[in-house]
Amino acid sequence: MRRIAIYGKGGIGKSTTSSNITDALAEKGLKVMQIGCDPKADSTRLLTGNDRPVTVLDVMRKGDDLVLEDIVHEGRNGSLCVECGGPRPGQGCAGRGIIAAFEELERLDAMSVYDPDVIVYDVLGDVVCGGFAMPIRNGYARDVFVVTSGEMMSLYAANNIAEAVKGFRVDGYARFGGLIQNSRNVKDENDLVDRAAAEMGSEVVYRVPRSPEVQRCEDMRTTVVSGAPDSEQANEYRRLAQLLYDRSEDISGGMRLGDEEITGCECR
Amino acid sequence: MIHPRPNPIVAAMYTLRDMNVDVIVTHGPSGCCFMASRPLENAGIRVVTSALKDNDLIFGGSESLVATLNEAKRKFAPRTMAVVGTCASTIIGDDLGAAVKRADLGDTICFAVDCHGCMNNNTEGAIRALKAGAKAGIVPQDECDRQTVLLKAATDLEKKKGMAGKTYLSPAVSPTKMHVCRVIADALKNGKKVAVVMLAKKELAYRFSDMFVAVDEARKRLGGQTLFVANMDEGLGLPRIRRYCSNIMAELDADGVNIDCIVGGLDEYAVVGERMKEKVDEFEPDLKIILGICHAYPDMGKDDILITDQPRELANYLDQNFTCAVGEVSSHNMVMGATGIVHLETADTLREIVREM
Repeated sequence: MRRIAIYGKGGIGKSTTSSNITDALAEKGLKVMQIGCDPKADSTRLLTGNDRPVTVLDVMRKGDDLVLEDIVHEGRNGSLCVECGGPRPGQGCAGRGIIAAFEELERLDAMSVYDPDVIVYDVLGDVVCGGFAMPIRNGYARDVFVVTSGEMMSLYAANNIAEAVKGFRVDGYARFGGLIQNSRNVKDENDLVDRAAAEMGSEVVYRVPRSPEVQRCEDMRTTVVSGAPDSEQANEYRRLAQLLYDRSEDISGGMRLGDEEITGCECR
Repeated sequence: MIHPRPNPIVAAMYTLRDMNVDVIVTHGPSGCCFMASRPLENAGIRVVTSALKDNDLIFGGSESLVATLNEAKRKFAPRTMAVVGTCASTIIGDDLGAAVKRADLGDTICFAVDCHGCMNNNTEGAIRALKAGAKAGIVPQDECDRQTVLLKAATDLEKKKGMAGKTYLSPAVSPTKMHVCRVIADALKNGKKVAVVMLAKKELAYRFSDMFVAVDEARKRLGGQTLFVANMDEGLGLPRIRRYCSNIMAELDADGVNIDCIVGGLDEYAVVGERMKEKVDEFEPDLKIILGICHAYPDMGKDDILITDQPRELANYLDQNFTCAVGEVSSHNMVMGATGIVHLETADTLREIVREM
């Protein structure tokens, strides 16, 4: 099982990128589960076409007996879509919500039931607290990629996330896979992102070009891979998905890597 | 410092008791501070909890707090009520004051103490409780200011001389009281001068005061001279603390025991040591017995008899070769809710020895 986390500044296109990666891998016949880690619960809407899916925390809040069928929704090409959800803005602790949602998925043994080939974690913005770092801690995600443009704040967030991954590296779980450039046509964008990646001790693994196809498909509540399957932009996402698949590590085990699964790993 | 110590939440709760608050609502998990809550309930304060669950942490705990406040109002009809924050509710940023406003509390005075367990000095919780109480009008501002100064002095004392200055102290088991009581009895029998100095912290005076009674009994039977010094000024402190003094002084008076020098109130143990020492030095005692927060007395001598209620403080004294230190452990539980002097084991041992002499 591959466990990939996609981070990045809010509004930079993480969910669009994640959904197209998930869809492209699912299109190849892989079983892919995308877990949205954002209280807005809009990570998987392009996969399901549903703007208001039932989230893990919705069901937990009601106190109902949670069953996987309530919270795992089918998306395009048979992808599996989960939204952690969260509190209303300004209340409670969204980070704790992410942790609780993960614990609930583990308690329900979701990975044994669905046995995905790939888990894609789509995580809100920056690593603002322990809860939002959860996918890269405690053995959930193995390979962490950051979506960024050449804009300063986006690169700043990318650097924070890279720092966080480095900080947790001693625990032997996650490793930083590199930057995914979601181009915004900023002046000298490639140079800017390349330099930032070098300063992080990393690299740009892929540059997704800017395309009007993306917005057109978003308006139709679909991914580019499914909404404009013959477009060049769809092929860009397919190539990106294949690249992340090839670069991420295939490790057996459950949702969370245990000590045994990561023994001998280079990031220890 | 890695040994467990009372935290600011507990300090806030005890200060609210001293302000005679009827009901304390801890806004946090049900187990938070429950060991401190039990004796407070024994002392007549109702302590309830909003019993936060995981969902409250995620979605916010304000609704649980409002419901708990309303339930407490219905159940106890309190005149005064206070909400105390905990680590959990503070980390998720619950607005305690807003919840108090939203609750249906009628004429009950209710206020929030914004504190949690990780605020470094535990006295910070007490100071925040006082400030909130002053703002709510249940304690005068000048008393709040006075208490704040005393609490800071207490923090300073503990860091310099007490348990807060040590990384770890293993709780000590007290030696028997026979040895120190023989020393006291022999001194009196030989016509020596014995000073008994009490630097008690609040309600613990109910227990340590018994030593005045026992030594007075011993002097009457064996001879010698005594000087009794205590921080029991009935005119100082919050109402509950002044009441402790009145109760104890009335009982001592009824027993025919006279405190020779009253120096400060029961909340002033951290600042009265020097003044007490002056009185004691004038007496030129052959033997000193120091009760309560013994290290608040300047220049403790190796031959002084030290009587503390805290096992870790006892360890602190024994580690420094104060070989005449004994512990009256569990004293705190015995005095919570007390209205009269509670027998002290050392005092009873002295009585027994004197009877057999």
